[in-house]
Amino acid sequence: MSQVSEPAHAPTSTGIEHKKLIMWLFLASDCMFFGTLISTHLLYRKLYPTGFTDAEGHQRFIQNLFNIELTSFSTFILLMSSFLMALAVSAMHKGQIKSFRRNVLGVIFFGLIFLGCQVFEFTHFFHQGLTIQNSVFGSTFYVLTGTHGTHVAIGILWLILLYFYSFTGKLGGHVGALDVEVAGLYWHFVDIVWIIIFTAVYLVEYLGPSGFWGTGLPLTK
Amino acid sequence: MSHDSHHAPVASKLDLAPERSDLGLIRPDRKTGWADWLTTVDHKKIGIMYGAFAMFFFLVGGLEALAIRTQLARPDNDFVTARMYNQLFTMHGTTMIFLGVMPLSAAFFNFLVPLQIGARDVAFPRLNAFSLWTFVAGAFVLNSSWLFEFGHLAGWFNNFSWYKSLVYTDFAPANGWFSYAPLSGTVGQADAALHAPRFTGVGTDFWIIGIQILGVASLAASFNFICTIINMRAKGMTMMRLPVFTWMTLVTSALIILAFPAITVALIELMFDRQFGANFFNPSAGGQPILWQHLFWIFGHPEVYILVLPAMGIVSEILPTFSGKALFGYPIIVFSGAVIGFLGFAVWSHHMFTTGLGAVPTAAFALLTMAIAVPTGVKIFNWLGTIWGGKIRFTPPMVLALGFIWMFMCGGFSGVMHSSAPADAQQQDSYFVIAHFHYVLLGGVLLGLMAGLYFWFPKIFGRMPNAGVAYLASGLVILGFNLAFGPMHYLGLAGQPRRTHTYHAGNGWETWNFVATIGAFILGIGVFLAFANLVWTAFKGKKCGSDPWDGRTLEWSLSSPVAEYNFAQSPVIAARDAYFEDKHGGRRIAYENDGGEAGVHMPSQSWMPLVAGFGFLMIGLGMPMLSMGVPHIGWLVIAGLTVMFIGIWLWALEGPGGYMLKTPAVGSTPSAPAHQTATTH
Repeated sequence: MSQVSEPAHAPTSTGIEHKKLIMWLFLASDCMFFGTLISTHLLYRKLYPTGFTDAEGHQRFIQNLFNIELTSFSTFILLMSSFLMALAVSAMHKGQIKSFRRNVLGVIFFGLIFLGCQVFEFTHFFHQGLTIQNSVFGSTFYVLTGTHGTHVAIGILWLILLYFYSFTGKLGGHVGALDVEVAGLYWHFVDIVWIIIFTAVYLVEYLGPSGFWGTGLPLTK
Repeated sequence: MSHDSHHAPVASKLDLAPERSDLGLIRPDRKTGWADWLTTVDHKKIGIMYGAFAMFFFLVGGLEALAIRTQLARPDNDFVTARMYNQLFTMHGTTMIFLGVMPLSAAFFNFLVPLQIGARDVAFPRLNAFSLWTFVAGAFVLNSSWLFEFGHLAGWFNNFSWYKSLVYTDFAPANGWFSYAPLSGTVGQADAALHAPRFTGVGTDFWIIGIQILGVASLAASFNFICTIINMRAKGMTMMRLPVFTWMTLVTSALIILAFPAITVALIELMFDRQFGANFFNPSAGGQPILWQHLFWIFGHPEVYILVLPAMGIVSEILPTFSGKALFGYPIIVFSGAVIGFLGFAVWSHHMFTTGLGAVPTAAFALLTMAIAVPTGVKIFNWLGTIWGGKIRFTPPMVLALGFIWMFMCGGFSGVMHSSAPADAQQQDSYFVIAHFHYVLLGGVLLGLMAGLYFWFPKIFGRMPNAGVAYLASGLVILGFNLAFGPMHYLGLAGQPRRTHTYHAGNGWETWNFVATIGAFILGIGVFLAFANLVWTAFKGKKCGSDPWDGRTLEWSLSSPVAEYNFAQSPVIAARDAYFEDKHGGRRIAYENDGGEAGVHMPSQSWMPLVAGFGFLMIGLGMPMLSMGVPHIGWLVIAGLTVMFIGIWLWALEGPGGYMLKTPAVGSTPSAPAHQTATTH
């Protein structure tokens, strides 16, 4: 194993490493990013509470479209991936590189399951008649959840690169732990954003017998 | 291992064997020539490049403005077509804001912030280079629309089938700098190719992707600067000892990272409408065009403060220097800057008073808008307090800074008039609004930035600009500016509408439009003269000492031009206005011996930021051509994404690198850079 070179940088003014600070700043910016997207969705949902019209001209209700069991499952999987990510960061801090690899593979695997569910969901909704072109709901739903999915995909790509990088022997020491921790911050953030999307986009449709927006169908189909 | 050898201290990087990155590739380390400029991570060189690009685009935007004024010089003129006029005013606004003022501010951020806080570079030197090249890519994408427009007018595309199928052929953006939906968006149902009918040509697509790329550049730079200012201050440089310019950089960067996501999302939504037939702003499918206005102005109003706060910071440095007094009320000036930034997020709807928001929101936004005049007024009174009773030296930067206060106040007063919603309903879309924001952006921001250029140019190049030419240029700018925009107050109140390519005789607008055009040309000559003087100075100007103005902040304690490592030894700060206190007060700057035998750590240069920026250029050129229907052009977008990814990936893999540089002891060679010292050994 070659020596990991760590140039002697002056300690930072705040004691927080640059990489960690810049990631927090990025996440602050990303909060506004998702805030704007979620606001767009909610504004239009309030304006058009009745759902959308499919290609045959039938009025469709969101409760009949969503498969809340599947989305709950994928949400749970994403939550658990955050748990594994925390274990991976902890392993890295302790210098347990094998444990790090095991856990990070788990995160990647769970992340892929989540993405797979999203692909299935998108395909399913498309066949149910919801497209990005045929309604405002389709536009806001696909762009919002698709943007989140893109964030997850970037996170998975990042973790895969970190996983293979760990075999070069250069991922180690304080710098390596910091690199993994920063990736972890990103992953946890993407996870938290999904909790908000899951609540604001999916769960509210099931609040009360006719949904939060007031004009959904009763739960019995 | 070559990596280790670079951690044995040397007096000059030229003493080292070429450095290999962690990938095994030889890193660029030429100290001269174009490769050095393309791969540099030195914040000072990046700042100079930002400044050069910004001044170039100022001239481009200025030429567009002169074409507009020539068209409006007399009634029923036909100097340009209505179609060309739309493209001119759109590109004028977009160029001046995103390619002129913001990068010129970024030039000051880059050059000054590390020097003012006592650091040797920014927190992420390669990310800083990435911001520069991404900005250049975005600027190129936006202006390449003119090349397509030229090709269209010259008939180059006549034989292409994609060209024949275009409904609208405005190749340069023509929606105004705000690109209001639904004019910029779509209407009706998307066809099989997912394209819904549009109101405008592909110029809008150039605008969307260009602004998106410029946003990436601004965001990356802002993360970097916040990190630098918070984390890399020298010992003793507490937050309340920071120079005000650095404070305003911090506030501006915070505004950018919180405001730009709104426009990013709005642009994504508009892009989905145009490219993939989505319905965000498509009125026939239930989309609400007003949402675009909200999203745009949630970004757009903070953007106004993103433009003006750096200029306020510059003026806050210049006035004390040439008044021989400390800045009056430093804490309240800093606090006012932060309050302006905070309130800047709560006033966006005053751009939309005439859209019918309802009485309560209109009243609330009117009140908040009036409230923002309070911290601004506080700043102006503090600047007056600073020069009050001082021994004023009327140097060129001081003249321009005083011009800033005067002109900016005029713009502020008409701004308070707009904040009253009933008055605004009369002024909306008239030349009165043009007069207002040009007094703020030109009389305020441009004069502030020019003052900063004339103030810090001796530090950047070690050469003093010609004062006679500078006074002449300042006089021409202030005279021409008032001649051009003063009459527009009257024209606006007399009913002349904005964004209209001509007007008929007999409305009583002829005289003042002609005067405004003469003023615009005087202004153009003044700005050109001011810039030409600077360019000449950079190469041929008379050499000057390191502290020609009796400066107050840390950068004046360094040699001119500044050595690549900035500080031979890290300063330990004992007071606000640290260098002035060091020279004239009792509190000296101490120096830590961190640049002694071990040397100081210098970052290595890299091609990767340029590669990643080039990827953005390919995406930016590909997306509008995709919208034109050029066959197979989607591959250019995919290739661009790939190049961007590879650039970032190799960037991560090559490692930060770096080498140790031995610096001379403080005081031994106050005006000679290190490598000059080294060659004498």
